Amino acid sequence: MTLREILNIIFLFVLYLSLQILIVRNLVLFDVAFCFMYVACILLLPAEMSLSATLLVAFVVGIIVDTFYNTLGMHAAATVLMAYVRPMVVRFQAARGGFDGRIVFSIHEMGSLNFFYYVVILTFIHHFTLFLIEANNILLFLPALIKIVASTLFTSVTIMLVQYFSRN
Amino acid sequence: MFELFQFIVRSRNFILFVLLEVLSFYFIINSNNYWSIRFFNTSNYYAAKIMAWSNKAQEYARLRQVNTDLAEENRRLNALVTQLQQFKPQAPTNYKTDSIFATRFRFTVARVINNTTQHPNNYITLDKGTADGIQPGMGVISPTGVVGKVKICSEHISIVTSILHSDYMISSKLVKSGVIGTAKWDGVDPTRMKMLDISRNTKMYRGDSVVTSEYNSIFPSGILVGRVIRVGEMPNQTFHDVTLSVGTDFNNLSFVYVVENKLQGEQEKLEKTTEPERK
Repeated sequence: MTLREILNIIFLFVLYLSLQILIVRNLVLFDVAFCFMYVACILLLPAEMSLSATLLVAFVVGIIVDTFYNTLGMHAAATVLMAYVRPMVVRFQAARGGFDGRIVFSIHEMGSLNFFYYVVILTFIHHFTLFLIEANNILLFLPALIKIVASTLFTSVTIMLVQYFSRN
Repeated sequence: MFELFQFIVRSRNFILFVLLEVLSFYFIINSNNYWSIRFFNTSNYYAAKIMAWSNKAQEYARLRQVNTDLAEENRRLNALVTQLQQFKPQAPTNYKTDSIFATRFRFTVARVINNTTQHPNNYITLDKGTADGIQPGMGVISPTGVVGKVKICSEHISIVTSILHSDYMISSKLVKSGVIGTAKWDGVDPTRMKMLDISRNTKMYRGDSVVTSEYNSIFPSGILVGRVIRVGEMPNQTFHDVTLSVGTDFNNLSFVYVVENKLQGEQEKLEKTTEPERK
C-alpha cells in the first residue's frame, strides 16, 4: 500500500463514521428501515489488506458505533463476522466471472451491478446478525426479519449513491 | 510443539475471528459489565460532547413542537392550581396532610441529547448528571407522560431506561374504574403498550386514561401513562387484553423532568424490615 492509499482509507473512515454518527443515526424510514452505512468502511478496504488487520479494524469500527448506540458488542460482533466472510464472497463472485485481475472495490472498476451484488450480500449478512442479536427473542423474529430486509435495501442504496457521487 | 505453532500460524485468522466474536458476545451478554458502564456508552465525555453538538443543530427544527408541549403543560398546571384552590383533598375529615410527605418530590429539568425508539430495548441520554443531583433509580417524566427511570449517571450525563424496554413495568391505574394493573411495552410499536393483570370483571371504557398509581415510589401518582384504545377478550384467560396508546411522544422528546422522591430511601428501608416475615 502506498502512502496515498493509506491517507485515502483514513479519510474514508472519518467520512463514513461521522456521517453515520452525526446524520444517518437519526434517519429511520417507517420505523423499519435503518441505515448503517458505516459498513462501507469495511467493504471498501483494499483486497490486499491482510484478513487479520481487517478483522481488527472491523472490531474497532464496531465498538465506536456501539458507543454511540449504547449497544456495546452488537455492532462489533456483526461487523467482525462481515469482515471474516468478505474474502469468501469475493472469491465466490470471482468464480462466477464477476471480475478479473486486481480487484479494486469501487463502482467504476467493478461495474455497477457487480458492486451492488457485493454490497447487498455483505450488508445482508451484517444486518441479519445485528438484528437477530438485538431481537434476542423468538417472538420478535418476524419484526426483525422485516427490519433486516428493509434496512439492507436502504443501506445498500445509500452506499451506492455515495459511491456514485464521491468520485468525479 | 513446532506443529502446534505451525497450526496457530496457519489458522491465525480464524482464531482471531473467534476471539473477537467471543469478546463481543461477552460484552453483549454481560450488558452491565465494567466496560459498558465506564467507557463505551454515550455517557463517555467525548461521545456526549459530539451528541450534544449534533443535537443542538436539530433542536431548531423541533422548536414548534416544544412550544406546543410547553403551552399545553402550562394549561394543565393552571387547571390544576385552580382545582386545588377549589377543592380540599378527598380524605376522611381527621386526616392531616404531612407537609414533608406532600412536598417529597423534587423536579429537575434536563434535556434529551440521544434517544431511540426502534430497538427492543431503548435508552435515552440526558445532559444532566450527579452534579445536578441526579442519581440512578430516579423517575423521569415528560410534559405529556411517563418516560422512564435513570439507569447510569456520570457527572454531567445520565442514561435513562425508557418505558419502551422489554423489562420495564409500571404500576398504573385506570382512572374511571380505579383498578390497578401493570403497563408494559411489547417491543413492536413505539406508540402502543399493553396493560396486564386487569381482571375480566372490570368494566372498561375506551379512551379511559391510564395514570401512575399511588403504589409507585419513583413517580408521583397521576402521571399519564397512556389511553385505552382497544380492549380484547382472550377466550381462556381471566384477564382483559388491553392495548394503550403511549402518552409520551418519544419521537419528539426534548425536555424532561427528573423526579426525585426525597422519602424513597426512608420508605424502602422501612419496607425492607418486614421482608424476612413474608417468607
